[in-house]
Amino acid sequence: MVRSRSLSPQARRLLAALAVTGGWRHGYDLCREAGILSGTLYPLLARLEAQGYLDAEWRPPETPGRPSRHVYRLTVAGRRLAAENPAPQGAAEPSGRLA
Amino acid sequence: MSLIHRVPLLLVRLARSWLPPDLARWGEAAEAELRTTGPTTQSWLFAVAFVGWALREAAGVAAPSRHRAIGLSEDARAMTRPPLFAPRAFAGLCGLAAVILGLIYMAMSDAPPAYLLINAGAAVFGVLAVAFVALALKRGHLGAGPLSLALGVSLLAVSQWGIAADGVTRWVSIGPLAIQPGLIIAPLAAVLFARSPGPWSLMGIAVVAMALAFQPDRGTAGAVAAGMMALALVRPSGLTRLAAVAAAAGFAVTLVRPDASPAMPFVDQILFTSFQNPAAGVAVLLGAGLLVLPALGTGRDQDTRVVFGAVWVGLIVAAALGNYPTPLVGYGGSAIIGYFLSLIAFPRQDRSLCNVADHDVPRPEGTSGLLLVTTP
Repeated sequence: MVRSRSLSPQARRLLAALAVTGGWRHGYDLCREAGILSGTLYPLLARLEAQGYLDAEWRPPETPGRPSRHVYRLTVAGRRLAAENPAPQGAAEPSGRLA
Repeated sequence: MSLIHRVPLLLVRLARSWLPPDLARWGEAAEAELRTTGPTTQSWLFAVAFVGWALREAAGVAAPSRHRAIGLSEDARAMTRPPLFAPRAFAGLCGLAAVILGLIYMAMSDAPPAYLLINAGAAVFGVLAVAFVALALKRGHLGAGPLSLALGVSLLAVSQWGIAADGVTRWVSIGPLAIQPGLIIAPLAAVLFARSPGPWSLMGIAVVAMALAFQPDRGTAGAVAAGMMALALVRPSGLTRLAAVAAAAGFAVTLVRPDASPAMPFVDQILFTSFQNPAAGVAVLLGAGLLVLPALGTGRDQDTRVVFGAVWVGLIVAAALGNYPTPLVGYGGSAIIGYFLSLIAFPRQDRSLCNVADHDVPRPEGTSGLLLVTTP
């Protein structure tokens, strides 16, 4: 039986950041936009992907000589989850900081 | 690539190896992110936070919560894997990570290079020392009770014949180094008592408390009192209550005696001053948090973990409130050695995963290990 729990503010902010454009996103940018640390971001991404809310794949570098990057995009179920769990008021705006 | 950018990348690369296989590609993704960004304060924060997550995963602390936030089936939650590291090894890794974060803080704050070398050397010495003490205890070459009493008497000698400054006598000189034995001895005596409560180790705690009162050392005395009171709460008995009373009495004496040493750069008050550079401040806070992370685990040794946690939380609080050394992340080898020695609080192997015969089982003074093995 699947247990439903309310999402943490960090998870809501991450969903909001992923849902803004609906396109593929990078981890570093997500940290900045959602205002969460990498130590929170990657466990959340892992959970979201494991439960079918997130697509993740490797993308070749846009510029030769740069490393490949892992990119993320919400699935249909993920977009529904984001819509049902809006980010806390005043916490989702891009802040330009990491923590 | 500059050195300033290489260090966060190396930290993430090291921490990747601590992740379990099912999370390995997330570590790879984090490293790829860091490789594409320039050398900024944010890359340090990114790396430090990632190290924290990897450590939690390695310890199994994060495993149950990993399935919680989004909502997962009870079956899947039940499939949490065993910890990657044995308790003592994990606690040691936390200590090493805290020392490294302290080195990062000092490097970013232009501390004298000798400070970094001394802290790194103390970590190496501490790791060797805990291995030696644990082996000696396991083979019976050292008894926990007599060792505890001997430590207390040594500290008492320091309080009488040690180096005095500003009305406080708490240091000894070894060559060019000034050592603060209280920070080495007090945490070890506290966990020895928790592992092996008995008349000898009780006397050891009492003498340690007396020595700290004589010095005086309010910070360390408060930490020992916190540890002993925590033990009396989680394992109430006549012995633990007596130890709590002795430690609290020692702490009370330090409260009424003047203890006003001036703050030393890179030693005292760094929980606040380090934030002159935000990245350095985060490194210091994260390092201080790592010190007590091992105490959050559960298991048959939980009482000893509680004492370990209470003592180190006490020392961190003391460093926040007064001019007392900030353990491991600040300059000072004594606390580093004391931290690693106090890791005997943790079993060498995870007891839920292997045979009891493989452990260095802590036991009360005067009893055999078999007594504990056969007693629920």
